[in-house]
Amino acid sequence: MVASSVNQPVVVAPLLVALATAILTLLARFDLRVERVVSLAGGVGYTAVTALLFQRVVLGSESVLPYYLSNWPAPYGITLVADALSASMLALAGVVTLPALVFAVVSVRERGQRLSFHPLYHFMLAGVSGAFLTGDIFNLFVWFEVMLMSSYVLVVFYSGPEHTRAALSYVVLNLLGSAVMLVAIGGLYATTGTLNMAAMARRLGEPAAYNVAVAPTLGLAALLLAVFALKAGIVPFHFWVPAAYRAAPAPVTAVLAGVVKKVGIYAIVRLFFTVFVAAEYANGSALDYVGPVLVVTAVASMVYGGLAAVGRDELEQLLALSSVGQVGFIVLPLGIAALAPNLPMPNGVPGETLAAFGVAAALVYSFNHAVAKGLLFLVAGTLTDVIGTTEFDRLGGIARRAPVLAGAFLLGGLSLIGVPPLIGFFGKLLVFRVGVLAGAAGSGTAARLAWLGLAAALVGAVLTIAYVTRAWNAVFWGEPPKTVEAVLEERWSAGRRESTAAAADGGQFGVTSRRTLAVEAVVLAVLAVTLVGFGVGADLVVEAAAEAGEAATDTAGYVDGVYPEDGIDGVPADGGDHSGDGGGH
Amino acid sequence: MSDETESNRPAATAGPTDETEQTVNTSTGRVGPAFDHRTTVIARTVVRVVVPVVVVTALALLFQGHNRPGGGFIGAVLTATAAVLVYVIFGLEYLQSHLLGIDSSPNEPHAPTGWYRWLFAGGLALAAGSGMFPLLAGLPFLTQGVAFVHGLPIYGELEVASALAFDLGVYGTVVGGLLTVVAEVGEE
Amino acid sequence: MTQWLLAAVLGLLFALGTFLVLRRDVVRVVWGVAIISQSANVYLVTMGGLAGAAPIGDFRGETPPPTDPLVQALVLTAIVIGFGTTALALVLTYRVYEEHGTIDVYDLGGEGL
Repeated sequence: MVASSVNQPVVVAPLLVALATAILTLLARFDLRVERVVSLAGGVGYTAVTALLFQRVVLGSESVLPYYLSNWPAPYGITLVADALSASMLALAGVVTLPALVFAVVSVRERGQRLSFHPLYHFMLAGVSGAFLTGDIFNLFVWFEVMLMSSYVLVVFYSGPEHTRAALSYVVLNLLGSAVMLVAIGGLYATTGTLNMAAMARRLGEPAAYNVAVAPTLGLAALLLAVFALKAGIVPFHFWVPAAYRAAPAPVTAVLAGVVKKVGIYAIVRLFFTVFVAAEYANGSALDYVGPVLVVTAVASMVYGGLAAVGRDELEQLLALSSVGQVGFIVLPLGIAALAPNLPMPNGVPGETLAAFGVAAALVYSFNHAVAKGLLFLVAGTLTDVIGTTEFDRLGGIARRAPVLAGAFLLGGLSLIGVPPLIGFFGKLLVFRVGVLAGAAGSGTAARLAWLGLAAALVGAVLTIAYVTRAWNAVFWGEPPKTVEAVLEERWSAGRRESTAAAADGGQFGVTSRRTLAVEAVVLAVLAVTLVGFGVGADLVVEAAAEAGEAATDTAGYVDGVYPEDGIDGVPADGGDHSGDGGGH
Repeated sequence: MSDETESNRPAATAGPTDETEQTVNTSTGRVGPAFDHRTTVIARTVVRVVVPVVVVTALALLFQGHNRPGGGFIGAVLTATAAVLVYVIFGLEYLQSHLLGIDSSPNEPHAPTGWYRWLFAGGLALAAGSGMFPLLAGLPFLTQGVAFVHGLPIYGELEVASALAFDLGVYGTVVGGLLTVVAEVGEE
Repeated sequence: MTQWLLAAVLGLLFALGTFLVLRRDVVRVVWGVAIISQSANVYLVTMGGLAGAAPIGDFRGETPPPTDPLVQALVLTAIVIGFGTTALALVLTYRVYEEHGTIDVYDLGGEGL
């Protein structure tokens, strides 16, 4: 461990940029223009520093970058850790949040922006960044809360009756989740005597040396899994998803589905594939226990999400339910990989073991889902802005009148389905490959579960095609009904819309200005191009995901990177002096 | 914090604020706000005595917080409790215009909450800024330092801890946030 | 002894919270959630062990060592967070009542699963 790799400001930069922007927007509330400029500058800065961190950690030579807050060495103080997994997730956040922010600036009602949209948005980003970066399990809880607290208010932002109701159930569920998480964390602290994830992994790996009772941590890990599944909206913890996603403003929903959901996924990967994997329980490692659970919940998510989405007559609900199904595709490779984590992979597969490959596949799919679903939610948001509804009955024939919108939806939908050369193709390919490799090489229950997962994924994929096609047919093809006619009289594209006077009698929704639409169209186009671009340059994404997968499954590397056995700067690493009070009661 | 409550507030705000007009209080003969009839002399007297004690305790907790039990949050909560006590017994109008000296003129009905928000934002900025300051010196985020000033009268030695800046920031944030809530919910 | 007492109290608190969460009245649900998060806090304190003296002051080299102060710091953080979210939930309940005229979970209905 070279001393220079410790405490690099770039590690804490995403967190600080988001935090500073949130506070500055709060201070700049006297003038909306100033606030917007600050907010956008902060958004650009956030994307830039996440890219820098990604470049440094994933593409560069550094592997694990610890950052000791307040200069307290691990495991005593709170440690931030940037490894390939964290940096990749942050880069994902950077890619999605900036377009969503630009969209929000023009789309969210001015009155709403005057209240506190921008500070909340950036506090949410700070929470997300902190959750991705922290190497301390209680600190993870704190960042979860920062993120959730902002998202509660953002969900209720438009404060209509439906929104408050959705937000109330969202808040109550997450409050329960937080209490459960707190219980699990308290138990983990009592049994292992530490909150630092790296220290916990080390102690779980050598329970005798540190006087740790391993068995209770399994149940506590199960509690944590339930909490993370709730955050990620995996069946059977999905029931808050449709209402909350519908209630939130479109750009917020894009971030909720694209990034906030992935925090749950990240936490599952980090804690189970890096930390709990170190412990040896009665029937194998924690992964052996968690694998079947993840596969079954993934199967349930894919089938349920797909079926529920097919039956919806409203675009936003369809998309919300679809993200329940899509999370199944992210969890499935994790579950299958957990069944046989040490299975060696053949050449040409990104990852040396099945565990690393599974995580890599999940990450590529997460990236696809984040960008594609973000794009689709923003399309739905544009429809709401222009026409005032996303109900299928009142939409139709948009393709001819709004080609940019239609093109963006088409690309997003195709990427969700997994059509080459979009990035979604590679996501699906890797997910299926994980299943095939595990099914072919494994034996017994593991292989059967892998094949079950594959079958469900196939069903899920077909259902994805079905609901995307249905939405496309209903919204973009066919004869435009009166609601559309009133607003879009003739062929419209971003640059050509003259005025909205025509919509004056069409209702209150014709007030969208030309500039708003132009910006929204540009954001959609940029995201659509991102999908194509990363699809063509999928090597980068897959390589980064492979590196992240290796980092996530390399427990020893993580532990040594955070605090080496011989200590950093002369401070000795802790030597098992925990009083062992965990066993005392 | 609770900004969203502003958007849908009913136009007419009924409640105790309507009763606190400037009138001659018949029982004491003093000119002052007409207190809510439900509060008794005992309650009013007790609050008069208790509130200063609470505020002093809150400040003590704030200033010793960096190395003794206490801190910005608990100090702020106590301060807000003092404010709530005054609000419950004497009404919101009295709390804001008499004690805090903020006029909620008809033109700017949200002037007090505006002040609280500045307190909230300023506190956050102070707390985060005190954390970021060490970065300029090449130290990690949130690094704290302490200095001792010697030769002062009475005190002799005074401890100046950078953690106090953070605590002050937290104090401002929490007081600002809680008073916003009290003002917003109280008006409804 | 303290441990057993606290364990029993924790069990009761969690049971009470769960009971309230399952009620139809939204206010009771929120109270239930608040009680559950408070009992999680109490649980967190007990996780530090209750054997030693209060961890205030200078205990270097003393035996027995004082109670673990870290859990108390954690609980402080958790209390602050729980305080904020519970307040938000109560405000939301009030808004739900204003907008829907009811706080009965069944009357509020839902969009289905």
